[in-house]
Amino acid sequence: MRYIFKKELQSFFFSPLIYVLSAIFLFIFAQTFINVITTTDSSINEFTYAYHILYQNMFYFIFLIPALTMKTFAEERRGGTEVLLLSSPISLFSVVVGKFLAVAVAFLFMTALSLIFPVIIASNGVIVWSGLICGYIGFIAWGLCLIAVGMLMSSFTENQVIAVVLGEACMLGLYLVDVFKENALISNITPLYNLLNAISAQERFFNFALGWFSLSDLVFYITFMCAALGFTIISIDQRRRCRG
Amino acid sequence: MIEIKNLTKIYGDIIAVDDLSFTVNDNEVLGFLGPNGAGKSTTMNIITGYLPATSGDVLVDGIDISKNPMEVRRKIGYLPEQPPVYMDMRVREYLDFCAGIKGIPAKDIKKSVEKAMSLLKITDVQKRLIKNLSKGYRQRVGFAQAILADPKVLILDEPTVGLDPNQTLEVRNVIRSLKKDRTIIFSSHILQEVSAVCERVVIIDKGKIKAIDTPWNLAHNMDKHCVYSLKIEGDKEKAYDLLKGVNGVRQVYNVTELDARTNQFKIDVSDERVRKSVLKKLLESEFELVEFSEEKTSLEDVFVSLTGKKK
Repeated sequence: MRYIFKKELQSFFFSPLIYVLSAIFLFIFAQTFINVITTTDSSINEFTYAYHILYQNMFYFIFLIPALTMKTFAEERRGGTEVLLLSSPISLFSVVVGKFLAVAVAFLFMTALSLIFPVIIASNGVIVWSGLICGYIGFIAWGLCLIAVGMLMSSFTENQVIAVVLGEACMLGLYLVDVFKENALISNITPLYNLLNAISAQERFFNFALGWFSLSDLVFYITFMCAALGFTIISIDQRRRCRG
Repeated sequence: MIEIKNLTKIYGDIIAVDDLSFTVNDNEVLGFLGPNGAGKSTTMNIITGYLPATSGDVLVDGIDISKNPMEVRRKIGYLPEQPPVYMDMRVREYLDFCAGIKGIPAKDIKKSVEKAMSLLKITDVQKRLIKNLSKGYRQRVGFAQAILADPKVLILDEPTVGLDPNQTLEVRNVIRSLKKDRTIIFSSHILQEVSAVCERVVIIDKGKIKAIDTPWNLAHNMDKHCVYSLKIEGDKEKAYDLLKGVNGVRQVYNVTELDARTNQFKIDVSDERVRKSVLKKLLESEFELVEFSEEKTSLEDVFVSLTGKKK
């Protein structure tokens, strides 16, 4: 696992992709930051960083995360290196987890860059620490879940473009769950509403955003992530069986 | 030792490998021969544990690949048809990575990488990006990867495809130098190569075994007839009649005009003694014999007759 992790990490940080993505990420972040500041009611001068800014930026995961995960398995298959990994004495589990950890580090690198905004706030005002810390925990947890989903999509295909499109579609679907479940048609059908509620993820972020550390929601995110990684392992293993 | 018992692989409704059984002895080089799509790569992928078999067993040193895949993978070095290299890595970096995932202890990695590089003569290119290397070098980098962990069993899927003649020779020499204490399975559709390197040959077609024997036996157990090629100066028609008239000549064919006076004939004779009477008859006649040679039954003929493929 260590060697897979190291190799993947090198391929991230020795290529321009991660820096370009970070720049885009920070640019979007700065946009929302400025928007929120300029539209805040000047009489109270108060806004919640996590609630207003992090939540908005979570939407852009739909575009950023597939770009990070597209390569993970699609490229191995196209380049014929999948054979190397799967005929070496390492388990599929450690391949998947090693790659996941590497993407996670790349994502945390991007997230860490965004800490400049709380620093700006601190230099001009007061930070509510509970909101900031819990907000970031929720932000990162959801990011990791989507990374696992993106990797699952990458394991379905050997074409990176298809991996991106599938990833975006899937993440958009997850985002829209929150919107759909509130519409009158669905919320009237209780079982459907309950189902959608169970998989709706972003609403859980609000608890974190308000500065509450919610263990049950964190467990939800972790379960979600493990399930997606588990499906990735199954997907690769099954493909070997029926490759033709 | 590798034992393959009743191995079958089915993809959907295609039977890629059909009830294959054979044994590879210790320190033997086994050639795996077959036309494209015969199931060579599939069989190799199964032996290395990359693909699971539909049914049947593969035992490497008595260990069943389906029961203990990690133990078997540790014993095997595999060079697939397409070298499994990462284009955006440097040669050295790539081999270090491979050594790591093959479970070579960290302190031995440097030594085994350097040994593999010097054996494949790629030490000079170790700092270059793999995508900038020629096909031959990439093949050698892939080969180096296969021998890194000093495996007891080497499986090479068409290791000389796409190499120039010098590189092909070099790769053959590497295989020869490795065969001292290793079991090697080596696939190819180039027949000279198999007969040059292998001790035994398995010929497969459409997933089934057609023959297993030494290259020499395969070539000699063919139909006992002999074919001679003659170049004769003189009138074509008369020469033809003369050859045809010799007792024991079954067929005269492939008559080609080399120039205005010289013609080439091929004769198919029932046994070797006929050669003498043909020569005697020719020397007594007005014709001048320019060349007389025996056409060897090559592995190629065996292959064509077994797999029914016309060249």
